[in-house]
Amino acid sequence: MVDEFLFPSLQAGTVYEEQYPLATALGRPLIARYLVEAAREHGAYAVAHGCTGKGNDQVRIEVGVMALDPDLQVIAPIRDWGMSRDDEIEYGLARNLPINTRASRFSTDENLWGRSVEAGELEDPWLEPPEDAYLWTRPAAETPDAPAYLEIGFERGLPVAINGESIGGVDLISHLNAVGGEHGIGRVDHVENRLVGIKSREIYECPAAIILHAAHKALETMTLSKEQARTKARIAQEYSDVIYNGLWYTAHRADLDAYVQSTQRHVTGEIRLRLHKGGCTVVGRQAPQALYNYGLATYDRQDQFDHAAAAGFIGIYGLPVRTQNQAQPD
Amino acid sequence: MPNDRIVLAYSGGLDTTVAVPWLKEKYGADIVTLTIDLGMVDLETTRQRALSIGAVEAVIVDGRQTLVDEFLYPSLQAGTVYEEQYPLATALGRPLIARYLVEAAREHGAYAVAHGCTGKGNDQVRIEVGVMALDPNLQVIAPIRDWGMSRDDEIEYGLARNLPINTRASRFSTDENLWGRSVEAGELEDPFERGVPIAINGESMGGVDLIGHLNAVGGDHGVGRIDHVENRLVGIKSREIYECPAAVVLHAAHKGLETMTLSKEQARTKARIAQEYSDVIYNGLWYTAHRADLDAYVQSTQRHVTGEVRLRLHKGTCTVVGRQAPRALYNYGLATYDRQDQFDHAAAAGFIGIYGLPVRTQNQAQPD
Repeated sequence: MVDEFLFPSLQAGTVYEEQYPLATALGRPLIARYLVEAAREHGAYAVAHGCTGKGNDQVRIEVGVMALDPDLQVIAPIRDWGMSRDDEIEYGLARNLPINTRASRFSTDENLWGRSVEAGELEDPWLEPPEDAYLWTRPAAETPDAPAYLEIGFERGLPVAINGESIGGVDLISHLNAVGGEHGIGRVDHVENRLVGIKSREIYECPAAIILHAAHKALETMTLSKEQARTKARIAQEYSDVIYNGLWYTAHRADLDAYVQSTQRHVTGEIRLRLHKGGCTVVGRQAPQALYNYGLATYDRQDQFDHAAAAGFIGIYGLPVRTQNQAQPD
Repeated sequence: MPNDRIVLAYSGGLDTTVAVPWLKEKYGADIVTLTIDLGMVDLETTRQRALSIGAVEAVIVDGRQTLVDEFLYPSLQAGTVYEEQYPLATALGRPLIARYLVEAAREHGAYAVAHGCTGKGNDQVRIEVGVMALDPNLQVIAPIRDWGMSRDDEIEYGLARNLPINTRASRFSTDENLWGRSVEAGELEDPFERGVPIAINGESMGGVDLIGHLNAVGGDHGVGRIDHVENRLVGIKSREIYECPAAVVLHAAHKGLETMTLSKEQARTKARIAQEYSDVIYNGLWYTAHRADLDAYVQSTQRHVTGEVRLRLHKGTCTVVGRQAPRALYNYGLATYDRQDQFDHAAAAGFIGIYGLPVRTQNQAQPD
């Protein structure tokens, strides 16, 4: 999950609609893969999933299965059976199934990269989410008054250390989820465009994802050129949609990833962040191959910038503007 | 009389104060100063200072309402935030300054205008390209770029001529207008009409007051701090700090309302246009047909961006907590999982089959 899905997504900067770091969506193609492998191992002719008929996950899993084994049938019981929740409970009790009959207020899903919450009162976008919708993160009023500072080390766009100590992906993400959650970081409240043609109001909790995306982006401000940053941002928007829409197992996604991997070649360095009262702020960045150059940037005596070149630059840069305003006055 | 007057954009600070006698001596010209209030300026004090150091005329302009109507609110509607970090406070003021400079030059018969920008920043480009666009025959002089004086040299120059300068070194260089740089309480309710904010907590407010109020309230809650290593137009990266509470609050609210009222396709293209439009503003290309085209697109997207947004400001963060809109595309009957669910679940199987068909085809034809 971390190596093949989460960390490539982090490198790509894929955040759906600039709000949702894609936790659930990134897990589905892996689930599809395991379903197909299990079907082969156990000689099954079909696989089944528990997704509803109005969500994105049914598409993600079924398209994933179609890609990996087009001959495997997919059954979607919840979509097909026409039972309400009460009907399901009745059915289960009649068969002595170990079920929890107490109504849950919300519908949730979680994996390492985040927790999603929807339904119930959350379906009114005007209402603030009630505090008990949240599980992973403390409300700002109950977070420590003193901020926490973290240093994250990256190599080629991948986080490899916290506060100078090497740490593997699963542990790194878990640690950041814990620390971030304690400081109330990672709450997202978004009215989102689903693939199945409707808008829905979604709540997410994803402390590690938020922290890592902020850190990674800041390191890129030091190590990517302006042109790289512009195109990467456009690619990230496209790539986010591809992941969200269940198109993981496509050549298109592989192409986008090849582009991303190329951009990450020099994204190595350290980022310092401050976590405090629900806010995650980058406070320091350094990189051995940074494009930020003190001698060019400084206004002090070590200024190496060629100020005299500016007049010529402005003349040429502004020439089309001059020309157009003369030829096409408003 | 023509050819002996220069209009200088005068802020009252060290650089432009020294520029007055320096321009007089170097060009043998009379200096007309122009001071514009874009939100944070004491016009009368600055005017007096300009006259005291030798300006033949000291023009003052209150540009705040024009800044809001023609620059800030269109930028808000467009969602233009440079490199997704900087709401473009300084950049949005420069084309207006260029316009006032050109107007003042015409009114006072000046052959040239002068600005106080350095030779390694973006503002020199923004102002000079703006002037080129509006009056290509007007000369532009850039004293700070040309005179080769260090800050200490400037202070020496100023003291020798008894100029009213502050010799205490300022740690940082700052620029402020309404949209960026600094009281009451936590929850805000912001109604919008066609993408423009019109009131706060039920009180109608014009743009200047609304932005001033949000800067105060936001600043009180620590909202609006930005720390960004940015790509300048002049080819270098620089580390910039911004404080823009109102801009951050309004962009968050506006975007929250757009999630209710724009379709997915509108949102995708608008985000791409906003990236382009942010660069256009940042790079001083306000007075171009390209910007006008982008704005025409933006205005079209804003037709139904009307509604209310509720925000919580707390300990440095600004969070949208509620949104409603009379023409929202969010539809409870389609979204809900309760008994009022009107979504056609049975249609999903056919949708998935067709949607996934190219994926199936490609994986069969081009296995890895």
